[in-house]
Amino acid sequence: MDIGVLVKASLDGNMIRADPDGRINIENTPLLISEYDRNAVVEAARIKSEVGGKIYVYTLLTWGPTKKKKKELENVVREALALGGDEAYAVVDDRVIPCDVTSTAYILSNLIKKFGNPELILAGEASMDMLSSQMPIRLARHLGYNVVTFARKIELSDNKIRVTRDLEDKLEVVETSLPAVISVTGEINRPKLPTLLQIRKAFAKPFKVVGLDELELEDTGRKISYSDLRLITITRKNVIIEADKLEDIADILIDKLIEEGVVRV
Amino acid sequence: MKTVIYGFSTEDLLDGLGLAQRIRELSGEELETFGFIVGAEPDVDGFDVIYKMGYAPTDAISKAILENISDTDIFIGPATKNGTDIATRLSAELDYPMITEVVDVDKVDDEIILKRQIIGGRGLAYYKFVTPITLTVPRKKFQPSKLDKKPEVKEVSIPEAKIRIIEELPKEKGEVDIEAAEVVVGVGRGFKSKEDIQMAFELAKLIGGEVGCSRPIAADFHWLGEDRWIGISGKKIKGKLYFAIGVSGAPQHIMAAGDAKIIVAVNKDKNAPIFKYADYGVVADLYQFIPVLIDRLKKRRG
Ligand SMILES: Cc1cc2nc3c(=O)[nH]c(=O)nc-3n(C[C@H](O)[C@H](O)[C@H](O)COP(=O)(O)OP(=O)(O)OC[C@H]3O[C@@H](n4cnc5c(N)ncnc54)[C@H](O)[C@@H]3O)c2cc1C
Ligand SMILES: Nc1ncnc2c1ncn2[C@@H]1O[C@H](COP(=O)(O)O)[C@@H](O)[C@H]1O
Repeated sequence: MDIGVLVKASLDGNMIRADPDGRINIENTPLLISEYDRNAVVEAARIKSEVGGKIYVYTLLTWGPTKKKKKELENVVREALALGGDEAYAVVDDRVIPCDVTSTAYILSNLIKKFGNPELILAGEASMDMLSSQMPIRLARHLGYNVVTFARKIELSDNKIRVTRDLEDKLEVVETSLPAVISVTGEINRPKLPTLLQIRKAFAKPFKVVGLDELELEDTGRKISYSDLRLITITRKNVIIEADKLEDIADILIDKLIEEGVVRV
Repeated sequence: MKTVIYGFSTEDLLDGLGLAQRIRELSGEELETFGFIVGAEPDVDGFDVIYKMGYAPTDAISKAILENISDTDIFIGPATKNGTDIATRLSAELDYPMITEVVDVDKVDDEIILKRQIIGGRGLAYYKFVTPITLTVPRKKFQPSKLDKKPEVKEVSIPEAKIRIIEELPKEKGEVDIEAAEVVVGVGRGFKSKEDIQMAFELAKLIGGEVGCSRPIAADFHWLGEDRWIGISGKKIKGKLYFAIGVSGAPQHIMAAGDAKIIVAVNKDKNAPIFKYADYGVVADLYQFIPVLIDRLKKRRG
């Protein structure tokens, strides 16, 4: 059975650049694979080891300018291929930027139908940058698939799929039938860094980049887009306490905390 | 405007009503409010009608909402996992735009602006309010006022759905309230085993605090209860001191300590992002430094 995995090139939360007016400078903020999408790829690889088939990696570049970001998207795709993907398909097109989750889902559904059309699609529970948690359900609606969110465990048997959902106050075991889209939590597995050999192999795997024209789409289906993205400024003292001996560091730290009035001795 | 507020408890409905009232205040438009409560009894005024239904899979819930209420302008649900799931099903079905976890609503140049956190809390995204729309609200962000209308309560049946619930396994309820603690010692993946966390408890006891942790420590390893999990998907810290040990400083974690007066970080990697978010940093192996720190604190106490 073929499996699709959605992987997003997300803004790196620890490397955000902003303009002097506080607007996030997307052009200069690097992209990396969205944290829980690695879990999705690793879970796809686990399922594949049981049932066979191919793993298709799908992505759409949501941050521009495309000329600059395309390279970073490629690195994200290579990582997904190194972690277990077999083939990758990406949408890169200036017309979709800035992209919202509604249009991304619509365009990705067309990409998926055209290339591979797998019966099972895995995604992350939420993307690292936009945290919208909407993609899996919106995509499933376009594809006419069933959809289950927040999977901590996935079990396949025949045409049935059993999913343990990790909710705030309980685990909920549910069952549905294929075809389906499933979003996975960060706890479903523990991805390891890909080995050098895996990375090298990833370069030999097929990777196709398409634009809206190849998908025969004229409209992006965009509904709502942000009018502004602002960085929250953090002002902390950023003092690194240094001394030759750990005892002295401890003493200085204790003194500072007493001075700040947050610790009493 | 026709507003539908759904949830799993009276509190969920109140949170949604708070946001709806804020939108009414800013837009000046009257709201017709319908409630939809799942698996609980409504105990709230301020709605025209409240529908209630037994607990069911999320696809059945969204289907029931759509079958019973039509022409909705605004859907509001809780920003919990199931709340978000249902919100998205409604939005996907009707092709409505949706904004997850609205933390603020403002009026700028005659336009209503909705704000939400992005990038683990490092950024805010602004959206112009349009209708129709679906919104989710975090707990206790918007408090409703004057609840006059007495609602009519209508029971609805659970429709057929594509998802079937096989089993529910409740999670253990924790007893610690780290959100109310003045001092929190945070445990991250720098700790190698569950037993080693004893060190953090000892330090916490000495400085009068509770122990909290990063998501993997609670949700993945289960070394600590989920009530101690700090982050956008966990608890927020607002006390005097957050003392993070072996935590890398992902925004999804550390931004939830943004309201702490002082942040201390102990990490052996001098390039760990946590130092950017800290007032005082110690670059050291926690296994060497924390015992020394505990020892020095004890000595001072005599
Ligand atoms: C949608 C989403 C939601 C999320 N929600 C949350 C959330 O609510 N809360 C949360 O915590 N995370 C959350 N995360 C995960 C987050 O991105 C990080 O993966 C997580 O916080 C990392 O936990 P950590 O710092 O304990 O582990 P790591 O990132 O692995 O960091 C361990 C640190 O310990 C240091 N270290 C190792 N050994 C030692 C030693 N001997 N002495 C001193 N230092 C040492 C290392 O240098 C490293 O910096 C979320 C992610 C996403 C995508
Ligand atoms: N542009 C994208 N390309 C590929 N996958 C995406 C994209 N955006 C979101 N996803 C997938 O959908 C999940 C949830 O994203 P979101 O709805 O943005 O929180 C992510 O973890 C990805 O698996």
